[in-house]
Amino acid sequence: MVRTGFTRRRLLAGALGAAALAPLAACGGAGSAAPNRLRVAFAAGGSKETLDPALVSLFVDQARSKALFDTLVAYQADTSLRPRLAESWESDATGSRWRIRLRQASFHDGRQVTADDVLYSLRRVADPALASSSRQYFAKVDFGASKAVSPTELVLVLTAPDFEFPAGLGAPGTEIVPAGTTSFTAPVGSGPFRFVSFTPGGPALFRKWDGYWEGAPGLEELEFVPVENEAARVNALLSGQVDYAHDLAASTAARLAKESEVWLGEAKLTTMQGMALRLSQPPFSDPRLVSAVLSGVDREALNRVALAGRGEVGNDLFGKGLRGYAADIPQRSRDVDRARALVREAGAEGLAFALETSDVDPCFATAATLISQQLKEIGLTATPNTRAASTYFTETRTKGVAALTRTATLPVATFLNQRFRTGGSNNVTGFASAEFDALMDRAAATADETARLGLLGEAQRIAHDRGGLLAWGFSTWTIAAAKRVSGLVTAPPNTFDWARFDRVRLS
Amino acid sequence: MLGYPARRLGFALVQAAVVLVASFGLTALLPGDAASVVLNDQATAEQIAVVRHQLGLDQPLLDRFGHWLTGLFSGDLGRSLVTGTPVADELGRRFAATALLAGLTVVVLVPLALLTGVLSGLREGSRVDRVLTAFSVVLHAVPEFVLGMVLLAVFAVHTGLLPATAAGLGGPDLLARPEVLVLPVAVLVARQLCDLARQIRIGVAGQTAGEVAEHLRLLGLRERTVVLRHVLPGALAPAVQQLARAVEGLLTGAVIVESLFAVTGLGTGFVEAVQNRDIPQVQGYVLVFAGVVVLGNTAADLVAHRLTPGRERVAW
Repeated sequence: MVRTGFTRRRLLAGALGAAALAPLAACGGAGSAAPNRLRVAFAAGGSKETLDPALVSLFVDQARSKALFDTLVAYQADTSLRPRLAESWESDATGSRWRIRLRQASFHDGRQVTADDVLYSLRRVADPALASSSRQYFAKVDFGASKAVSPTELVLVLTAPDFEFPAGLGAPGTEIVPAGTTSFTAPVGSGPFRFVSFTPGGPALFRKWDGYWEGAPGLEELEFVPVENEAARVNALLSGQVDYAHDLAASTAARLAKESEVWLGEAKLTTMQGMALRLSQPPFSDPRLVSAVLSGVDREALNRVALAGRGEVGNDLFGKGLRGYAADIPQRSRDVDRARALVREAGAEGLAFALETSDVDPCFATAATLISQQLKEIGLTATPNTRAASTYFTETRTKGVAALTRTATLPVATFLNQRFRTGGSNNVTGFASAEFDALMDRAAATADETARLGLLGEAQRIAHDRGGLLAWGFSTWTIAAAKRVSGLVTAPPNTFDWARFDRVRLS
Repeated sequence: MLGYPARRLGFALVQAAVVLVASFGLTALLPGDAASVVLNDQATAEQIAVVRHQLGLDQPLLDRFGHWLTGLFSGDLGRSLVTGTPVADELGRRFAATALLAGLTVVVLVPLALLTGVLSGLREGSRVDRVLTAFSVVLHAVPEFVLGMVLLAVFAVHTGLLPATAAGLGGPDLLARPEVLVLPVAVLVARQLCDLARQIRIGVAGQTAGEVAEHLRLLGLRERTVVLRHVLPGALAPAVQQLARAVEGLLTGAVIVESLFAVTGLGTGFVEAVQNRDIPQVQGYVLVFAGVVVLGNTAADLVAHRLTPGRERVAW
């Protein structure tokens, strides 16, 4: 999900390759860095940045949220849940009353994290006026009926059964803040690091919180340094100005792999790369043309070129490798003859349409060009139309008939509800199927996990056949760090181990 | 009948006003608005409507321009649509870094351009002239980011002599660590040196071979006196105007250089404001840029006007 409006000029990926890279210079960081301070470089969000966890939209915001706050639960790499502030969660037989027990944890000001804080935080996120993008996870919660039973226990009442509800409690943006918090200029959280200073678009400095419920971090200080340009992030790392660089291009990874002084972390299967076809209007209201496009695209070639061969091929479904992914659906592959026949049958030879794209993702431009070439071979003329990165996703929600899209890691059920349910919050294809909706409802009301995931699998089969989504690949997430950093775990964004610095040590 | 300076200043004010109206209109014409930027990929149409109303983006464009203009005349630049902080704060925060970059660039650029321009101009066609000219043309031809990358590879990554970026440093911190400015300033100087040096060279060459200089030499004045008293002042009028254009070039170069060296300055801030469709913030930047360019050009014209011998002045 969350990754907006940041462009990466791929000016020079590799332009430095010509220079033989020498061992890192002695730390030339800014200011007089305290001993044991980890400096991490992220793409800056500039002035859009905020420390309000409910409004995070950029990776750097999320990473800072993670340092300052805790969520109730967190995602493992496959999005199954692990407890955080919530020690346990259980529902009644119908899946519409959830009892959550909290562990003993305290905020940075020493106050205990209580059920009231949790209720306050969730209500805040659910408030339409705040316009938090995590609001959708709490659409079914009846806050009037939900209440704190004791300081460490609360009951959340839903308006409809949902056995997948706890997944929403681990989503980015659902961090717990002290009850009554309205200002986030110097926020108090219960996370492993305490707030010291922050300028939107500038650096943020946090200090370790000795009272952290999981034990104090191994670092004294953590500093976030904004470096928008990807090449500049790499240079800052190579010259020893920072110890960690986040979100690097595939071509950079290829170059750094030869670099003995740098640790390279690559998380596979992190972001679904695809194309969404608008089913609600011509030309793709004709299912034959949708099938033609799905058969006409060469997913292997896209992975080889647009993802520099470092990604994975997709099967037109979100969530490869995640819990609940329908791995048993046969892989769709290219069939030019079938695609041509379908185009002819639909009487659409030479049909021209615009393929919406943007530089919001480094692989979009290449992917758009390739898809356009591949569709030419089946008799369709798709012309890439580049839109502004910062408004791309909101624009393509309503404009155009075919648009490149991407989605970072989130639970499969959440994705299916957002993208394919009739009137779903992110249903850009306009897919509407009573059968699909009924399957999702049945899944939500099914207590037994195996049966529930089985129903999700059936729903995915429908989406795979008729959903209008072409998921051609999954990109790899790349980070790099200096050799003196230990304890980093590579994980997909939005999951627990991603951008987590409290277990990191510096030698 | 107004004097030349008064007419020139009046014209400058009109220029600035036109630019401000145009930038407001153009930013509004861009697809999307700040509401869709503030929210992320997952925002629903309903959420966008809520935020649009909160930001006042549902009001007619003319009303919004009127509000902004009223604020401007009372010295209030308004607030950023995206962060809600005063526009002036953001400008202040970023101005220091860019002013420092541009100021240092001018301090290095002017003596360097004078030296190369005069050396070439006095010996037109000599080996010195050819070498200097070739060198400055090559520097000019290399795009800023390519030159920046090469310098980074050599001086920061490969030898570790200089820091690679100014990551994490605000304007005031830059003064405390001037070494981070060496590479960005070098790139900016390299880009501007050619134009300015050539302008000086042409002027010097023209004046030194001119009738007046010849006449002075015949009168037995020493060559040094001829150059300092006559050749240079005559050659400097067009060079001053070129320097004003170099300052404009610095503003555009700043965007690339600030991005490459992670300097939090006006260039990157402006690009970001446009990307965010943050109209008040964009207007703030445009005000600063238009002010710098218009004032710089006006000042240069006035100086050139003074330097130019009376008989060569164009009547206004």
